[in-house]
Amino acid sequence: MFKKILFATSATEACDHAARVAFDMAQRYNAEIHVFHVLGIPTRGYSQMVVDVTTGEEITLDDNYRDLVREEIRTYYDHQIEKTENWSIDVTTGLPHREILRIARDLKPDIIVMGGSTGASGAYAHQKNVTGSTYQRVAGVARCPVMVINRPAASFWGGFSNVLFATDFSNAANRAFDFAFTLVKELQCEFHIFHALDITKSKDITDFQINTSHTQDTIEDEIRKAGEQLRFKYASRLGDFKNYAMEVWEGIPFVEIVKYGREHHADLIVMAHNTRKPEVNIGGNETEAAIGSVAEQVILRANCPVITINRSVGKA
Amino acid sequence: MKKKILIIEDDPAVADYLITLFEDNGYATISATSAQEGFSIAQKEHPDLITLDLELPDEWGPRFYRKLSADKTLKNTPVIVISGLSGNKYAVSKAVASFSKPFDREELLSVVQKYI
Repeated sequence: MFKKILFATSATEACDHAARVAFDMAQRYNAEIHVFHVLGIPTRGYSQMVVDVTTGEEITLDDNYRDLVREEIRTYYDHQIEKTENWSIDVTTGLPHREILRIARDLKPDIIVMGGSTGASGAYAHQKNVTGSTYQRVAGVARCPVMVINRPAASFWGGFSNVLFATDFSNAANRAFDFAFTLVKELQCEFHIFHALDITKSKDITDFQINTSHTQDTIEDEIRKAGEQLRFKYASRLGDFKNYAMEVWEGIPFVEIVKYGREHHADLIVMAHNTRKPEVNIGGNETEAAIGSVAEQVILRANCPVITINRSVGKA
Repeated sequence: MKKKILIIEDDPAVADYLITLFEDNGYATISATSAQEGFSIAQKEHPDLITLDLELPDEWGPRFYRKLSADKTLKNTPVIVISGLSGNKYAVSKAVASFSKPFDREELLSVVQKYI
């Protein structure tokens, strides 16, 4: 399942929680881990002058500097590396999301692991209300699942045994289900299949109270329908697998997903990455996309790692 | 009868400190150095309160808590997280309190007194 992990890191505190999970996975599942760091952004095309992403200083890039940064990363993760059998460190220059996608295409990892936004953990991340822009750009087009660990609290589980799959019934959710189900079977996990019924489509709470389309009867009818849809879409695909639960909760989707995960002590959330705007080809093999806001909010708030899957995952 | 506190902590220095602190203040203590040992003791002894380190040799604290809360006879036992890891406050969402090492002994005692 996890034999090759690409850990994309800024080698700063923002990625410490992701490092804890990535190295733990490598040790626990006997995987090779590739630590990947984009050290600087060229000031202009093909220039040797780069802006160091950590210090913000403009430096002249040569092999010595590259080796120095590699050694710094080695030292930074020394505690985890000494317990890991199969690891490598690679540093490069360029735009972080492009380079991560580039190495992912070459390396074909089973999963990309990333931290939250640099310098935006905790309360600040919620003020920003977005995940890191590098994550957004990678998650939209990566050909493999992308895991993000934003909060420190999400990194204290160690392994996966209780997986929450949150579905919006989209095509990308189908791919996310396939991945989640393969994972729960292989790692013998408990499996929670969950849908959050969005009742926030009203303009405001007054509208919600007076609009007759939101009576409790209609909400409960919708819950029942969503429950039927869950069974129709997924139960038949579970075969002999019995260790699962299916639930529909009404509310604000990201709140309900995070709440369900917390109440059921989920140690992993798997969900689709759905873009809010159409994907736009920006030349070459890359595509620019924005992450769906539900997944984004779940990533920011969850008490466990979150894996997002876009509709390209699994394509050759 | 003295109230009983189960201390789950793999660092012997911290465990000794907690044992002394609680016993000097009128509590009975039992200790475990791993999550598995802690759970077996909890099932046998039914402590009134548990102090839980997050990073244990065999398991992380949240996973221990999940097991504890699935046990009908133990699920309401108050748990206090004591850990050196940053962000520990939110690791076990239903813990009654969380302390970062080094912690204030009076503050810890006042929380313990509040719950048992």
